Amino acid sequence: MEKYVVLKKKDFNDFIAKLALMQTVVAPVKKGKKSFAFQEVTTGKEIALQYIPTILPPKKYFMPQQETIMKFNKAKFEWTPVLEYNEITIFGVHTCDLAGIQCLNMVFTNKPKDINYIVRKDKITIIGFECNAYCDEFASCAAMDNHIPNGGYDLFFTELNDSFIIHVNTLMGEKIIEEISLFSKANDDNLKELEELRTKKREIFKNELNTKHSDLKAVFENSFNSKVWKDIGAKCVACGNCTNVCPTCYCFDIKDEMNLDFNTGSRIRVWDSCQNEDFAKVAGGESFREERANRQKHRYMRKFNYPVDKFSRYFCTGCGRCTRTCMAQIKLKETVNALAEEKK
Amino acid sequence: MKKVKVAFFDFTCCEGCQLQVANMGETLLDVLDLIDVVEFREVMSEKSSTYDVAIVEGSITTHHAIERIKKIRKTAKVLIAFGSCAAIGGINGMKNNFDLTDIREYVYQKDAKHFDTIPTRAVHQVVPVDYFVPGCPVYIPEFVKVLKSALMGIAYNVPDNAVCVECKLNENECMYDKGIACMGPVTRAGCNSWCINNGNICYGCRGIVSNPAEKGQKDIMEKYNISLEWIENKINMYNKPRELGELKTNE
Ligand code: SF4
Ligand code: SF4
Ligand code: SF4
Ligand code: SF4
Ligand code: SF4
Repeated sequence: MEKYVVLKKKDFNDFIAKLALMQTVVAPVKKGKKSFAFQEVTTGKEIALQYIPTILPPKKYFMPQQETIMKFNKAKFEWTPVLEYNEITIFGVHTCDLAGIQCLNMVFTNKPKDINYIVRKDKITIIGFECNAYCDEFASCAAMDNHIPNGGYDLFFTELNDSFIIHVNTLMGEKIIEEISLFSKANDDNLKELEELRTKKREIFKNELNTKHSDLKAVFENSFNSKVWKDIGAKCVACGNCTNVCPTCYCFDIKDEMNLDFNTGSRIRVWDSCQNEDFAKVAGGESFREERANRQKHRYMRKFNYPVDKFSRYFCTGCGRCTRTCMAQIKLKETVNALAEEKK
Repeated sequence: MKKVKVAFFDFTCCEGCQLQVANMGETLLDVLDLIDVVEFREVMSEKSSTYDVAIVEGSITTHHAIERIKKIRKTAKVLIAFGSCAAIGGINGMKNNFDLTDIREYVYQKDAKHFDTIPTRAVHQVVPVDYFVPGCPVYIPEFVKVLKSALMGIAYNVPDNAVCVECKLNENECMYDKGIACMGPVTRAGCNSWCINNGNICYGCRGIVSNPAEKGQKDIMEKYNISLEWIENKINMYNKPRELGELKTNE
């Protein structure tokens, strides 16, 4: 049977404080008027429970912006693999970002397996947090079917009137509930309140796009020569923001850094982006995707078309980050709708 | 390893970039294990006429400077354009906004005729340059990278993507979200978004990316209500000499 427990709102700060004694806790913290970021916290007061998706998604803990993967010693012809990881708990992950982590898991546990990622992922405890209403007008999580929890967490919090109801999903989740003895078993009233909340949510969250979830792939498959890409290409300034903030973009570059002794050094993995000028450049300076229109098309295809063939799921979670951050006001919902409109 | 002889030279500039080197602290000691500094006005007085690597600071603004930089180029095996003045013309380029005679008289008044002046040029607009370290002032971690590349004989390319990329990776709140205009979207990365990390906007000191989208920039300006003049002024503040030829970065 599904296991649900309840935490009184007045005990929330105490819960975070106790959790922080068990493990490093990171959670959404307010950084500016509309900006939030996952950061280390030690008390519940630091956490912004009502937040718009953070500047960077939690992917930064699964694949850090900069990661040393090897050390070398030239004179000794030695290569030593390096595994960098921390045992952390991420508190407050929205359902869209849970979906993002599920996508990354598929990519990095599929062949070729990424050992560094897999080891790191197993050290991370995930506590989800439900959105009872939209974060803002840029979200399209309902269209992508990610507004209701669908696994991918150890514990999942939903805010009720004067308590939180928590779904316990893994042994790790169980362990936390046991060790921090602030929880009580959910009773029928609590479960009913959760039920009602979900019903209400179905009223609030409606497909934000003009296309059915199952038809999205076809829209993109038939859009290779669409004029929409040209319009976007003319606007895009190639700042790379949309890919860096996307929870399912995982492209990286590998760099070797020599130390000043000119003998030892390290191999470093850094985030890269298909929007960057040099990304599709090969030796000799030729670029496969000189045109911004083509780079944007590629980005969208990597969300709505290619991954469906490879992983049987869309790689857009509907989090809305790319729209929020775009310097040129390119809006995902508008793009998808325009493509679908053209096809009609 | 035999130590490489390195000489620093300054042309028209504030010498702020050399000061960055003098302030390097511990890394400087590691660097000094590898190189022999034979000329460096900021911290020493001896002069040398032989060197392997010339690190040139400042832009070229007089006929005399052209002769001097040609001589340096002849002697040096490797020439590094150091700082924005040398790499892209920098602040001195603002002079190119005006008529040369007018600006000379404005600056030197009645002694103007004694002062030779030509339109401001970046070093590569006069002699070939092997490495570029843009920045006003230079960002020391990048300078160390360039120095290592030079000593290993491999290329260093100044990144050709926007400062925004590094700014996002550092998870800063975007200046535009605070209602402040910022040059990040058109400026070449490589400084690890140094200024924004410290609460300032990007002034565009590292030069403009090779392929800025003019139409896109206009949309941004409209979205945030920024005047074309503001952008032009900001671009010209560091990048005026680009009209005399694009910044090259060994690509
Ligand atoms: S494409 Fe945009 S909305 Fe979709 S997951 Fe990426 S950032 Fe979020
Ligand atoms: S996109 Fe949906 S799930 Fe994600 S934060 Fe917004 S409302 Fe919540
Ligand atoms: S955020 Fe907007 S302007 Fe920047 S690369 Fe993406 S689409 Fe282009
Ligand atoms: S603050 Fe400036 S550099 Fe950073 S993302 Fe915004 S525009 Fe780009
Ligand atoms: S943030 Fe902009 S102004 Fe500051 S060092 Fe970097 S390029 Fe120069």
